[in-house]
Amino acid sequence: MIAPTGGGIITGLYAGAAPLLLILTFLGFGAFFLRAWRLYRYMRLGRDEARIDHPWRRVRDELVVYLGQRKLLKRPYYVRGLAHAFIFWGFIVITIGTVDLLVDGIIGFHLPGAGNAVFAWTIDIFAVLVLASIAIALVRRVFFPPPRMHVALDGYVILGMIAILMITLLLFEGAGLAAGNLEKGFTPPPIAGAILRSFVFPGESSAVVFFWSWWTHVVTVLAFAAYLPQSKHLHIVTTLPNVFFRKQTPRGALGLIKDIENQETFGAASIRDFSWKQLLDGYTCTECGRCSDNCPALATGKLLDPQKIVLDIRDQLLRDGPKLLGDAKAETTPPAHYLESKPEELWACTTCAACVEACPVTIEHIDKIVDMRRHLTLMEGSAPPEAQRAMTNIERAGNPWGEPRETRGDWATDLGVPTFAEKPDAEYLYFVGCAASVDRRNQKVARALVKVLRTAGVSFAILASEETCNGDPARRIGNEYLWQMQAQRNIDTFKKYGVRKVIASCPHCFNTIANEYPQLGGNYEVIHALQLVDRLISEGKLKVGRGTAEAVAYHDPCYLGRHNGIYNQPRAVLDAIPGVQRVEIEPHNRERGFCCGAGGGRMWMEENVGQRVNHRRIEQLLAINSGATKVASGCPFCLIMLEEGVGAKGVQDQIRPVDVLELVAGRIEN
Amino acid sequence: MKILIPLKQVPDSTVRVKVAPDGTSVVTEGITWSISPYDEYAIEMALERKDADPSTVVAVVTVGPERSRDALRQALAMGCDEASLVRAEGAAPLAVARALAKVVAEAKPDLVLCGKQASDDDQGFVGPALAELLGWPHVATITKVVPAEGAVELWREVEGGHEVWKAPLPALATVHKSEKEPRYPSLPGIMKAKKKDIPERPLDALGVDVAAPTWTVVSMEPPPARGGGKILRDGDAKQIAERLATALRDEAKVL
Repeated sequence: MIAPTGGGIITGLYAGAAPLLLILTFLGFGAFFLRAWRLYRYMRLGRDEARIDHPWRRVRDELVVYLGQRKLLKRPYYVRGLAHAFIFWGFIVITIGTVDLLVDGIIGFHLPGAGNAVFAWTIDIFAVLVLASIAIALVRRVFFPPPRMHVALDGYVILGMIAILMITLLLFEGAGLAAGNLEKGFTPPPIAGAILRSFVFPGESSAVVFFWSWWTHVVTVLAFAAYLPQSKHLHIVTTLPNVFFRKQTPRGALGLIKDIENQETFGAASIRDFSWKQLLDGYTCTECGRCSDNCPALATGKLLDPQKIVLDIRDQLLRDGPKLLGDAKAETTPPAHYLESKPEELWACTTCAACVEACPVTIEHIDKIVDMRRHLTLMEGSAPPEAQRAMTNIERAGNPWGEPRETRGDWATDLGVPTFAEKPDAEYLYFVGCAASVDRRNQKVARALVKVLRTAGVSFAILASEETCNGDPARRIGNEYLWQMQAQRNIDTFKKYGVRKVIASCPHCFNTIANEYPQLGGNYEVIHALQLVDRLISEGKLKVGRGTAEAVAYHDPCYLGRHNGIYNQPRAVLDAIPGVQRVEIEPHNRERGFCCGAGGGRMWMEENVGQRVNHRRIEQLLAINSGATKVASGCPFCLIMLEEGVGAKGVQDQIRPVDVLELVAGRIEN
Repeated sequence: MKILIPLKQVPDSTVRVKVAPDGTSVVTEGITWSISPYDEYAIEMALERKDADPSTVVAVVTVGPERSRDALRQALAMGCDEASLVRAEGAAPLAVARALAKVVAEAKPDLVLCGKQASDDDQGFVGPALAELLGWPHVATITKVVPAEGAVELWREVEGGHEVWKAPLPALATVHKSEKEPRYPSLPGIMKAKKKDIPERPLDALGVDVAAPTWTVVSMEPPPARGGGKILRDGDAKQIAERLATALRDEAKVL
């Protein structure tokens, strides 16, 4: 920092500078730490949770997500994302300068390298970039306020403070240069240099400008520190740990309730039942509204707003925190009833992970929603009646439809598909899933997969009536107990037949078996049917012939795409079919794919508020005006929802929903 | 108020029932059992009373084999307070009603709620028979119960509205439906139910003869398999309509 060294301007202008600075620093940071300590103690009210697995991935995330600002630079936020990145990077550089400035001001010692020209140049350039970015942020707030962003005074205060910091910085840098504080022989930094040469500091006045801009800068820094933990801008501090401690287990895996039979409470009965990390998420939320922008439930008029879910938990923590610090067992409202509307908000979630994907500071929304649903379902038995029916059906018949358990394998009888009992040496288990077993439309997809596997010479068998629901809907409705029972039953059956490799044509089965069964000791090599088909085609084991030339739109299932990062393989399969021209449902494709509305157990719940999510999806599909005559997916629930959607919109003659597997099977050269 | 619900464990509605090789019974091996749906409504109706007035005691009882313990556990998990089992294999409906009359005499409930019929044999016998044996008033197929001073109002759905019957206590009603769907048990409820003691005694301990007047099943047959549908394609609308009418008259014999 181009601050005057011993005997320089400060001491020259004001002899009491060092003690005064010491007191102000103490006050500013004192206020910061006092509040921060309180927030930390509230956070520690939360449940213990170890978040130190995969340390190297955590370090990588700090570099990429925190320092690299990776999650800010995403569709459709490139401009504002870049503006934020410049403020952030500028902030880091300038913070180093600020530390130097305070240390020098108090004890008269410069940090090594702080006085050289490279550093002066860096600060100079970043100060300008930060100012430009603040201008972008202000223009956005004033003229184009993003609909979901919480535009409040708080934001202006912070932007104003940062602007003051940058302007005063440039001013005293310029004045410092005028006083001859730059190392000899270096070119003065461009902006401060320009100020130096301008009419602002003729002769003696440079000392006065330096004095006032320097003090304004320092006081603003300290006010900023004191204000920070009172505002949403605490994320400047909390994002660092929040990114480090983010979930490193698969995104699609919900947390296990261990030793469930011996627990007394389940889910979030109190704010204390959230883990400390869930509470840290609340401190980290910047109220930017990106999660809400991308939520299919909110977009279609439901009460759910993912940002509000996070902020409600934070607000409740701040409200109940003092009471719980006094008495850990004090009675508090269950978070699922924090507001009267809360249960309805919670039941509207499809667990599509659009919010999780969009969040720049790695907040985990779904886990909180499911924790609160667990409370509603397991403690109160108050899940919506239709969801209860689905759970009873899973319990009694092994599928949410309530079709007789023993008819589960009937779709395959005329195809002569062997069961594991008949073909114990089969390489793969084809885990058919409930939808493809009992839903007539999806049985065709299962039959298509059988044809594909046979053509490619894959050795496989099914479990027929020995297979039971993987448990995904139950777990996402909040019924961890039923999930564990279903999962254990399948794991026992897999063990009985020595299953090691599993093919799933349903992304929900795929996600649960691959990512969640390991929690109960079930470890298998799990592959989604479209991944396998992609592999079979590239290995030359499967030849797909030419059929009718047609344009096919690809709809990303949430549990393939966002939850498991499988975007490319289904597209590769479509691209490998001669005559098929793949169409993207821009901009709602890949990581911004829009849910079909059926995830999170929503498949079995009524949807009578606002527009149906699947109808919105069909509108998006029609809006691209691509001439696509089919929309292909890789998920039985998407297929059901898309079918319903095209019917309701009366466009079933224009565009037909299919599974990618059906397109492949229909063009196989025998 | 004390409410007693006699319930029956039946093959779950998701089970595809098969006739056993003996031709006089159904296969029960490996099937899922559950509480008969109308009995579940009766339980829900009683529990709704308990929600409204926590001093209400809800008890369940069943006359059946050992496996019917699971049905009692399910009822406890839903929130019932007490359960007891009268052990009997293949007791005839009248024997069941007689056994239940003894149980009622001991337990002294104010109100007995039965499902209007069991979903397996659909006889609808035990409820009215039990009322007859007890000499209690009986109102059939109710949808709502409202306590009134020393009596109960029993609501029945009729075409376009309700009938409200009033019965002095003690009384017996058979249940058609509850206001809400039967509740899904909470997990603490399930865990508590697992630990609860379910006293049991054999049927003859109540002085009831299993083989009370009954019937003999001569034979059981599954319904005939449904044939495939027929699609009339060729010809214009008039010709198709003619052939459809002929088919409905001569083949289906419905015209």
